[in-house]
Parts: sequence; structure tokens; C-alpha cells
Amino acid sequence: MNSLEKAVTQQIMRERKNSEREEMVNAILPWDKFSQWLHCICVVTFDLELGQALEFIYPSHIKLSDKEKMNICYLSFPDSNSGCMGDTQFNFRIRQTSGKVNHHLLVRRKEYDRNSPVILQSDPAHLFGFVYFRQVKDKSSRRGYFQKSVVLLSRLPYINLFTELVELIAPEFFDKGEELIEAACHDIDQWSNPVPGDTLQLPIMGTVLQVKIPAKGDIKIGALGIARDAVPQPMGSPLTVVPSLHAVETFMCLQPVLPHIQLLWELVLTNEPLVVMGPSPGITCGTVHALINTISPLKYMTDYRPYFTIHDSEFKEYTTRTQGPPPVILGVTNPFFAKTLQHWPHIVRIGESIHAFLDKSKANKPKKPGSLKTLESKPGVYTQYKSFLSKDKTIQKRLAKGIQTRRPYEVQDAMLRRYLLELTQSFMFSLERYVTSLMPLQRNISPWKHPPRLKAFDIEEFLRTVEHSGPQLTSGLKGDWESLYRRFFKSANFQGWFQNREEEINQKLLLLHLEALSEADLLKWCNEREEVEVVDLVLKLRERLNDITERNLPVKPELIQKLHQGTESIIRSLPEDLRGVLEK
Amino acid sequence: MDINRIHCENGDKCMNGLHETSAGRISKQPHRMGSLREVKVCLLGDSGVGKSSIVQRFVTDTYHDNISPTIGASFMGKTLQVGNESFKFQIWDTAGQEKYRGLAPMYYRNAGAAIIVYDITNQSTFDLIKVWVRELHQHGPENICIAIAGNKCDLEDLREVTERDGAAYASEINAVFGETSAKTAKNISEIFIEISKNLPPLEFEKYKQGVIQVDSPKKNKRKGCCK
Repeated sequence: MNSLEKAVTQQIMRERKNSEREEMVNAILPWDKFSQWLHCICVVTFDLELGQALEFIYPSHIKLSDKEKMNICYLSFPDSNSGCMGDTQFNFRIRQTSGKVNHHLLVRRKEYDRNSPVILQSDPAHLFGFVYFRQVKDKSSRRGYFQKSVVLLSRLPYINLFTELVELIAPEFFDKGEELIEAACHDIDQWSNPVPGDTLQLPIMGTVLQVKIPAKGDIKIGALGIARDAVPQPMGSPLTVVPSLHAVETFMCLQPVLPHIQLLWELVLTNEPLVVMGPSPGITCGTVHALINTISPLKYMTDYRPYFTIHDSEFKEYTTRTQGPPPVILGVTNPFFAKTLQHWPHIVRIGESIHAFLDKSKANKPKKPGSLKTLESKPGVYTQYKSFLSKDKTIQKRLAKGIQTRRPYEVQDAMLRRYLLELTQSFMFSLERYVTSLMPLQRNISPWKHPPRLKAFDIEEFLRTVEHSGPQLTSGLKGDWESLYRRFFKSANFQGWFQNREEEINQKLLLLHLEALSEADLLKWCNEREEVEVVDLVLKLRERLNDITERNLPVKPELIQKLHQGTESIIRSLPEDLRGVLEK
Repeated sequence: MDINRIHCENGDKCMNGLHETSAGRISKQPHRMGSLREVKVCLLGDSGVGKSSIVQRFVTDTYHDNISPTIGASFMGKTLQVGNESFKFQIWDTAGQEKYRGLAPMYYRNAGAAIIVYDITNQSTFDLIKVWVRELHQHGPENICIAIAGNKCDLEDLREVTERDGAAYASEINAVFGETSAKTAKNISEIFIEISKNLPPLEFEKYKQGVIQVDSPKKNKRKGCCK
């Protein structure tokens, strides 16, 4: 077989392998579509002998680890469960300790993550749980109460969509029984995959939900919240538009601590340990999500638990006094935590009624942590942290005026989100600009050299740029921006952000380099070189081709073919003995 | 029936800039002002009478002899143009098995039409449609358009229910009627077309945005589609 034939055969084999892989990815098995959205649905009930117990899991082939089951059981019921009569909704987040993911599901998920805004990427290590809990009097039960929860588990942070979904499913399930969960799961198994940028219609139990999956670059999603750009739906239409996948009601949830909003923003930005103490899981989870979202479009990189209980498997790890508090945000309701977490540096205390918190005068100064002894302490922020930036009085005044004039919540919400978005963007702008300056020049991309990479981040060099063109110019806020940056550089948020940018940019540079390679006259170059250099080029070309498959780079097939052909023709131009070695 | 003026698009084709598949993936806002009406339709009837086959024939114009029983319900979308009006059917094909019967109200809630299907070769399936009609009259949406389909009419040799009995019952309850065959496609799109002409009137005061408009006057008279 001559080398051309061989090359062709190899190419065919490669293509066949690729297309087989593709087929595997494209073939739809039962539960494939479901698994793109949810991990499973659990029903947790109160068993007189066992306490909270898993009644069933659907689809039934899903296996949860014992640890996960235990966490789900405790987190599906309110912790200090006295007043929660009727229906309650909240959500939680747990570490995932079970389950291998199918190869083709993983491919899909990677594809989704690549095109999705960072804050909506799937969580590789955690599961979100969306709970609908019902507690009502029930004479037929020995305990006198009916207590049950329906929980949707997912890797996707679609807070709004899944909260709405479980609100549709759970009441019907309580009414109709297990068949309903079965039917709902089959509906979800017909949903199109979540592809960023697509508007989808999702049939569920006789209605159709319409959602838009935001794509990377849709910055306003989440930050500016509810974008009602969809056609308004007439009443009685069989279509329900879900305005946002994950937007939380920032203003509503943070209203009790509005005077400290900038301080909280700094704490979240720099991954400071933060605990939210509230009367119910519904309130703590709203507040925790709102806090995470204050730094949107930046992703909060360390752990956060919208609702955390003393039974949680990470309880010891997070409350130990042998080390300093971990850089996480916890939402708790059990009064026991007031004591356990006394040593935490920042505590946010949210009262029973968020609406009642209209009197601003009392809450203006952060309180010292020592004064928080029990959960009966007054709402507010308990910390000794001094914010680096001076207070923005304008936004405070505008929001306060809105409260006085009873401006609609949505308007207040949009105002607060915009303010926070601009603050985060001002902070990030200098960083983005500095990172751009670390890019190699276009002319440094040579097909004969290694692909260039992003230069290292130099903190001092960056801070020198801030002196004359820092965020003080765009945000108008005075304060010690430099120290805030220094603190940020030590945080996981910075590391995560930079890693992300670095990967993105290096991938782009790889692509540019590949293009340069494919356009270069390889044979001409080889004619003028020593054999050693030519062999070196062949090896490098193979390395590049390997990169493409391993990193799953978005490259046109023509480019790959061109590189293959280039490599083969170089090999053909070599003396026979060398050719034999290289063709192996 | 004037078949020529009817354009039946396959579920996967583009129409009015609207791209849809069975579980609805849309690339553009479909609304051309005043021409599209979204209609929820649900199929009811005993298991094995051919509800899923009817939907499959209507939406993808295909037929398979052995399809597995539906669990809960399955959903398909299909746009149909009748004259100068477009109807976007949201079709809920419910499971016929007894254990899912309790779920039916979710599927006929807010529905513009229901197709109750029986199998002409099985008398007991015909008896069951009366139960469904009663349930719809008691708990279904007001003004819901009811259609009765006597399916498997290609199996003449095995017939247990006469066409006359079917038609008589349908006219008694003022329903659209047709004997259908998902296998041969007989009367499948026709029954949907007939439904589109007998939908309950839209409540205009609720539709302030003018997204949806119906030009044709309301028709009260219901008639069979395949005489």
C-alpha cells in the first residue's frame, strides 16, 4: 500500500470513527433529553419510624449515594419546622458524590457550557434541589399531619424555571399520585436540549412553557433581570412565557439590608465567609441567590448553600473552629447556628417579614458581631469589615424614594440590578483591559513557532494602570480601589475569572495559529531546512491535530483536512528510511 | 371537501418563519399579526384505539404498526393553514391506560378541542367514548369543540361499530365526526381541519394585544367531515 492510499485509508478510518462518535452523540436514548435538564425527581415523606425518608426516585434507574439521600431528606423539610403550615417553596445545593455521566451526555454538557454565560453553566460538582413542601392537617395520619416534599434535582442553576416547574408538578402530584410524576418525567424527556440562544417550548402536564436560553454575551440576562421582550401572551393562551431562567428578586430579597448593599457586594466579590440567618428556608435561599447575583456577570466561584442544616454532611467541615471560617455563603434557619457560627466575621440577619422593613433609620450602621447572641437579634449586617469604597448616596436615596412613593417592585429591582451591574463592570473593566494588553501581537503568530500564549498576570503592573485610568473614572465612586483589588486577587473569584479568560484567549490563539499553519506553504519551508527541522515540524503538526480532538476545538473540517494533507505531503517528500519511521 | 385550498405542512417544515419540531424549537417569533391561533387539542379514548397513530400520521405523515403504549401523555406541535388562517395545534396525546385516567383533566384543561377516539372493530371502546363525553361536559372547558373519530376504518372485515351508529351519536351531542384510518391516512387531516372550523370563539376582550384575531364569523353548526 503506498503512502497516499494509506493516508486516505487512515483518513477514512478517522472519519468513520468520528461519525460513529457523532452518531453516538446524536442517538437519543430514553431519558437522554430528561438528563439534559434534570438529574431526577425525589419525593420525601415523613415516616413515623424513620423521620424524613425518600419515598421514591424517578426515573428509577437513577442511583443516589447514601450521603446524597441523607442530605436531600434533611434539606427537603424546613429545619425549624413549626410555623410552616401549608405550602412552602425553597431550594438547596449539595455536593454530588454519586454517578458517572455517560460520555455523550458529557459532550453535550461541555458544548452547552462553552456557549453559555458563566453564571448559567452547569455545575460539575453540585446538584441543585428545588423543593415544594406541603404540611397540612390530616386526620387519617397518626401524627395528625400530612408532610411531604417534591424535589427536583438538577445541575443547572435555572432557579426561576425549576421553581416554577416544581410548583406545577407538586400540587398535582399530591392530588393524583405517583403516575403524575411518571407522566411529568416523560413530558420532560420530550424537551429539546437547552441550547444557548434558543427559544424553546417545553410541554409539561397539559401546558407549554416558553423559555429563552441565554447565550454567552447576553450580559443583561440576570443582571438586568426579567427581559420581557417576548410577545405578550393573551390570557387563556395555552402558552406560558417564563421570562427568565434564573433571575432572582434582588430588591425584594436584599431590601432589609439595602443600606449595606455596597459592603455586601465587596464581601461577595472577595469571597468572604458569609452567613445569612433567616426565619425560613424560602427567605434564606432568596437572599443567598440575590447575594451571589450582586457580582453578576461575574461567577461566584466558591461554595454556597441557599439552605444549610445542622444535619448536612458538610456541617463539621464548615463550622469547625480549628480553622478559620471557609470562604462560603450559607443560608441557615436553625437558631442553633447563632451559637455555632458566632465566630464568623460577617453575618446577615433577615427578619420574619421583609415588607415590614421600611424604617431605614435603625438599620444604617453595621452592627458588631459580638452583639449577635441568638436568632432573636435584630435584622441587619453584623460585621467589623470596613468597606473600601465610599458609600454611594445617590442610589440609596433613589431606592428610598421609591419605597416612599411605593414604586413597583420590578422597577426598584431593575434599578438596583443596573446599579450593581455597573459597579461590577466598572470594577472588571480595568482588569479586562489589562488582560487584553497581555495578548501577544498578531504578527507574533508564526506557523513555525509554538502557538503564543497569554502573558502572566502581574499584579503590580496592573495596579499601576489603575492609578491613572481605574474604575474611579467610570463609577465615580471614591475609595481605596487598590486595596479592594489586592483583596480580590487573593480570592477564588479572581482565580476562577482569570483562569476562564486565560483558557478562552489561549484557545483563540491556538485557533489563529492553526489558521496560520493551514495557510503556510509547508513544502517550500521544508525545502530550505535541515531534515531535523522538517521532522520536528511533522511532530508539531501532529501535536496540533491532537490538540484539536483533545480540546474539542471548534475548527472547520476543511482546515483539519488541509493540515493532514500538509503533513502527509511533507512525509512523502522525505527520504524512504525517515518516511518509514514517521508513518508508523 | 375542497382539499386544494388546504396546505398541510409537516411538523418539521418551516412555515411563516416558524420552525418547529415535535417538542417545539422555535427560531423566530412566529406571529404574523392576526393570522395565527394557538389551539390546544387533546386526544382521549381507550388504550389501543390508535390515538398516537392518528397524531403521528397528522404531524409527520408516517405510520408504524407497533408503537409502545403512551405514558402520561405525549406532546406534538403542528401548524395547519386553512384558507387564510393559520392554526398552531398543541396536541396532547393522552395515555389510554386506566391508571392514567386521573391525569386527563390536566390535558383537557384550557383545550380548544378534544378528539375522542374509538376503534370501529371493538364495541367496548365505542361505549367508553360516552364516558369521556360526559366527563368533558361536566369538567371540561366551556364551548370545547368535541370531535369523535372512529379509527381503524381500514379493517372493514372486523367491524363491530357501524358508521351510522357513530355518526348518530356524534350528531346527538353536536360533535364533529369522522371514521379515520391512521394506517391509510383517511380523514386524518380532515378531522383537524373540521375542528379548526368549529373552535370556540375567542374572547376578544381578553386579547388586547391583537396578537390573535379570527376573521371568520363564529360557527355554531357542527357537522361531519367525511360524508
